Amino acid sequence: MDRLSALLVGVAMGALLQRVRASDPGMIARSLRLEDLSIIKFMATTIAVGAVLVSLAGLALPMHLDIKPAYLVGVLGGGLVFGVGFGLGGFCPGTCVVGLAEGRRDARWALVGGIAGALAFTLLYDLVVAPLLPLLDLGKVTVADLLHLPAPLVAGVMAAVILGAVAWLPTVRGQQRSS
Amino acid sequence: MNALPQSVLPVEAPRARAAVPGWARLGFVFGLLSAASIALWGPIGVSSTYPRLVGAALRWLVPGWAGANAYLVKMGELAKPESFLVLGLLIGGYAASRLSRQPAPAPAAIHPGETRSALRYRDAFIGGFLIIFGARLAGGCTSGHIISGITQLSLSGMVFGAGVFATGILTARLLQRGGR
Repeated sequence: MDRLSALLVGVAMGALLQRVRASDPGMIARSLRLEDLSIIKFMATTIAVGAVLVSLAGLALPMHLDIKPAYLVGVLGGGLVFGVGFGLGGFCPGTCVVGLAEGRRDARWALVGGIAGALAFTLLYDLVVAPLLPLLDLGKVTVADLLHLPAPLVAGVMAAVILGAVAWLPTVRGQQRSS
Repeated sequence: MNALPQSVLPVEAPRARAAVPGWARLGFVFGLLSAASIALWGPIGVSSTYPRLVGAALRWLVPGWAGANAYLVKMGELAKPESFLVLGLLIGGYAASRLSRQPAPAPAAIHPGETRSALRYRDAFIGGFLIIFGARLAGGCTSGHIISGITQLSLSGMVFGAGVFATGILTARLLQRGGR
């Protein structure tokens, strides 16, 4: 059942990413140059809606939450490495799969690069990565835990701030770019 | 090698101005979907499938070595829900692109340094390497850490997201400037 649910969620997610043009590396580059925020606003809206729903549903239903541990050196370091790859290639691990399905040739190279990255990571794990992971590990912690506040309250405030920013910021920057 | 055009925004067909922009509608639906996923089986996540795929290949090629590798043992077999999610991405992405009846998108330069298609493929390859290496170091990617993580209010998702956008924005800006 889990596998069927995951497959169906993946089908819908793939269609959404294709429709919002997240699988277009040119759109990712424009997002990161802050020229066109539509994909960033799409992600922010997703998070705001999801956070409110998950925190409220958690009051009544058993939810399959999975909080990832905050081992700060690995998480921040990994994010910084990821950002360079994101800016250079214009793909993330999911959008290059969607790009492959669309027939994008550069997405194939991103996938091959990703598999090479996973292999390199596996080879280096014991030597380099495993010693880094216990550094500054705060564990599976949420912002609601840190603030000692109920999750629906934190989710509601976060969603309001996110949606306010999304509504207020212009989506496409005006034509004031130099050249 | 072909010369590459710069990636440009497509010309939108003139139509009645929608009251709600596309990103807002699609983002709302994705929010429903990510919450439904957590209710049904677990948070969405993509990057763990890459090492599981590598693990499946290595278990077939060098079973002794793969069986002793701590990371492959930790990540487990390929037959996880996340792998089916990635299979779904292929199906959904293909269906959506066919239904929109657009031709297969030709590669376009995403910054001025990509003057030939070989350079676009090089950047895609190196970018692909770095996003998976970084995601596995952090334990998640755009979907697992940023979308699912921040949806669950996790500190790790917010820290990862801050790191991604810090170097992502810097890299994109430097590449845009460097090509001139």
